Amino acid sequence: MSAAVGVPGSRTVSRIRPRLRRRETGLLVLVGVILVLGSVSLGATQRQLAGQAVTWLPADTGQLVIYLGALVAAHLALVLAGRRSDQVLLPTIGLLGGISLLLMERLPQSLVTQSLAGRSFGLASIQLGWLVLAIAVITIAAIAVRSDAWLRRYKYTWAAAGIVLLLLTFLIGNEVNGALLTITVGPISGQPTELIKVILVIFLAGYLSDFRPLLVGASMRLGPLRLPPVPYLLPMFAMWAMALGIVVIQRDLGAALLFFAVFLALVYIATARASYVVLGLILFVVGSFIAYQLFGTVRDRVDIWLNPFVDASGKGYQVIQSLYAFGRGGIIGTGLGAGLPLVAGRLPIPAIHTDFPFAALGEELGLIGVVAILGLYLVVIERGLRIAASAADDFRALLAAGLTLVVGVQAFIIAAGNLKLIPLTGVTLPFISYGGSSLLANGVVVGLLLALSDRGVEPPPPPRPSRARRPGFLGGRPGGGR
Amino acid sequence: MNARDRAPLGQGIARVGLILSLLFGLIAVGAGYWQVIRASELTRAPDNPIVIAAARDVVRGKILDRTGATLATSKRDANGEPYRVYADRSLAPLIGYASPVYGTAGLERAYNAELSGQGSPNSLDDLLSKLAPGATQGESLTLSLSLKLQEAAVKALGSDRGAVVMLDPRTGRVLAMASTPTFNANAIADPTTAVAAFTRTAAVAGQPFLDRATMGEYVPGSIFKIVTSAAALGSGAISPSTTYPQQPAAETAGLLVSGFRIHDGHHDFSGSLALDYDQAIEVSCNIYFALTGLRTGGAALAASAARFGFGKPIPFDLPTAVSQVTNGGGSFGGGFKDDVELANAAYGQAETLVTPLQMALVASAVANGGVLMRPELVTSISGQTGNVSIGPETLGSAMSPGVAGTIGHAMELAVESSWGRIFTTGAAIPGIDTAGKTGTAQIGGSAEPNSWFIGYAPANNPQVAIAVVVEQGGHGSARAAPIAGSLMGLWLKTLNP
Repeated sequence: MSAAVGVPGSRTVSRIRPRLRRRETGLLVLVGVILVLGSVSLGATQRQLAGQAVTWLPADTGQLVIYLGALVAAHLALVLAGRRSDQVLLPTIGLLGGISLLLMERLPQSLVTQSLAGRSFGLASIQLGWLVLAIAVITIAAIAVRSDAWLRRYKYTWAAAGIVLLLLTFLIGNEVNGALLTITVGPISGQPTELIKVILVIFLAGYLSDFRPLLVGASMRLGPLRLPPVPYLLPMFAMWAMALGIVVIQRDLGAALLFFAVFLALVYIATARASYVVLGLILFVVGSFIAYQLFGTVRDRVDIWLNPFVDASGKGYQVIQSLYAFGRGGIIGTGLGAGLPLVAGRLPIPAIHTDFPFAALGEELGLIGVVAILGLYLVVIERGLRIAASAADDFRALLAAGLTLVVGVQAFIIAAGNLKLIPLTGVTLPFISYGGSSLLANGVVVGLLLALSDRGVEPPPPPRPSRARRPGFLGGRPGGGR
Repeated sequence: MNARDRAPLGQGIARVGLILSLLFGLIAVGAGYWQVIRASELTRAPDNPIVIAAARDVVRGKILDRTGATLATSKRDANGEPYRVYADRSLAPLIGYASPVYGTAGLERAYNAELSGQGSPNSLDDLLSKLAPGATQGESLTLSLSLKLQEAAVKALGSDRGAVVMLDPRTGRVLAMASTPTFNANAIADPTTAVAAFTRTAAVAGQPFLDRATMGEYVPGSIFKIVTSAAALGSGAISPSTTYPQQPAAETAGLLVSGFRIHDGHHDFSGSLALDYDQAIEVSCNIYFALTGLRTGGAALAASAARFGFGKPIPFDLPTAVSQVTNGGGSFGGGFKDDVELANAAYGQAETLVTPLQMALVASAVANGGVLMRPELVTSISGQTGNVSIGPETLGSAMSPGVAGTIGHAMELAVESSWGRIFTTGAAIPGIDTAGKTGTAQIGGSAEPNSWFIGYAPANNPQVAIAVVVEQGGHGSARAAPIAGSLMGLWLKTLNP
């Protein structure tokens, strides 16, 4: 590395040389085969149920071609740009997104409709649009982000942006199922928490990498806990207060849980000190208790979780219907399109496309499909954490880990909620749930991960003199010892 | 500078990765719990959309009578939605209904899984049905019931409330099981009229939805003397020649048991004769059986009743109410409170409550040499995968063949002897020896007593056993005995000669 070590402000100019990504090619071919088979299976079932002749055609050839085309285009762009970034993430996300497309094609198209340029679009068409946009975001971020300076330098600006978004949601947000979730500006409406989670990770990565030595070094004792001095604990309390604030003001339990869990995990990664986690968990329990006592929403969610059958046709309805869906699926599932029995034309689970796609897939793909989807998320987590572990410095490591965690923890929260393992909170299942905000925000996450994994990316700036210089960061696998 | 801040972040990242992996493993375990361990229970829940949807889409199997006549079948309306059609309203309390609005009742409910094609516990079938979605065809039921006999039974009960149960005593198979008033199940099964019909039927004072044959609980009166006989003769407390010296004198003033007087109504005919067992049955002597009950003891009486099926639901195709000899909890043996309760129970009053099905089983056991057969209605279930025949099945011995012979002889006299013709008018079938016992069950106040008859025919080769109850029908010989005689005659002479 010679010319690349740029003087701040100078730009690295290098000739673009295409580079084959054979592993990605192979995996994408596999993804293509799986999605074509899935679509053919769905098409056959749909035609049979509609009383038509069963053919070998996919359910919706046009949509499938567009989607696979977008994946191929993203792949070619990465090849032409000569990126040496991770080759597993794109195919994995591609498969999750493809499963989402098949699920949306399978659900009644009238669940969501939108008119654009005089044409009316249904659920799957809109989701396909968002998926293609998300793939574009991934590709652009993966290729265009060559420096992380804009992320690491302005951490307080990012924090401010996040807080502004949060306040906006509070001030002009629309209520969805009793929670302030979306804001509408002109024709566009979105869920700010999806963007805030990315901003939060950027801020935390900057903050924790700067103050890591202080957080690790100094300490005071509080009973059995060894804690840093009070000033360094302030962010912890601020974060806790913010999470509680989200619960109190927005009544968005899922986002609060996600933010706090990611925060705790990042603090633990940065400091390797269990005392923070213990303190965080104590705060979590105290906060949960307060919230349970004060807010009907929280009490309802917990009571439903403890025993949904008390009010089976009322409050417990969604969760019970979700469990019924898993039960109907059994081990091998009903097959795409053959589950989710309609009663009087209604789907068995309300909000199935946003909050319960995991239950829908649990029914139609069975336990086998559930385990496979969980496996795909674990692949994303493994790749993300691997990128974090081999990052060039603390900021990138924490950023990569944090981005990975928002996807992984969010997937856990909603999947576990669908299965009544934890109280149900309305967050999206990343890359599968219907919704533009979620897809785009998660697209940013994956794009940044790809960029961070690129060995050709601009190296981090030299550590500032005020900070202790760390010896060579480990080069490889997670858990590689101290 | 602490050494720990020099430690690479890799360790923390690896630990967080491990925790996340464990959490995802937990999700997989949770999914396995609901999708494998709890799956069949969840999928059979009545509010599971698949159950509701299946009930709407499925073409329910037919229900046929013993001759193959259709009792219930499914048709499709203009929209292609299946709905249920029933042959006759005499079947309604028994077969019930399958309504898109009100779900199922009666036999339709009891055999819902089979009729709607979800009865197969075979997991391979489940897998195959998942691979081949589409409307299912339910399995068909063949009943031992005779539609013509059923119609005749309801017609015989007329506008009275009551029940008729007719069994083949050799197999326990139900030939007729009527309950009145009946209702129009077709109107409840028809989606366009269901709500109005259901509301109207539920408001009828006579409770048409109640299947009196299996769920009606009645004071038995003198028909219970057959159970007391089995207990007394079986335990050796009495023999056929047993007489009670104090009995004739007690006839006019009543028998005093601990301050309670037990009365009789037959002394105009029997005078001052000390009755033996046969004569006591012939004239239905309350005092004889009160004394016999006291001599037998509560424990022996309750134990004998239990062998007939008292004290627990009868194993049958439909849910059954439990018949009892006493409310229980008493300290006098067998759960009786005291000697007064026992003496009254011995001739079928006190706290004794019975279902018509239970009393048909009592008559049936006497007819079948003491052997109690499981009553059964559904004799075969046939579907795409084949035909399954059911029963007959022996429940056990209610009494020895000798005791059954003694009781049967007395019941034959009760219908055929000169005294019997007075007390059991109308039960005799011309040309066929008949055995039976009437009951006139006092239900308190000034209300007319319930009219009972149990019996069987032909006496020497029993092919049909019967229990008839007519609510507030007066004396046993007034309503129940003639109904029984005509129905048994119809069965033996015309329908199944």
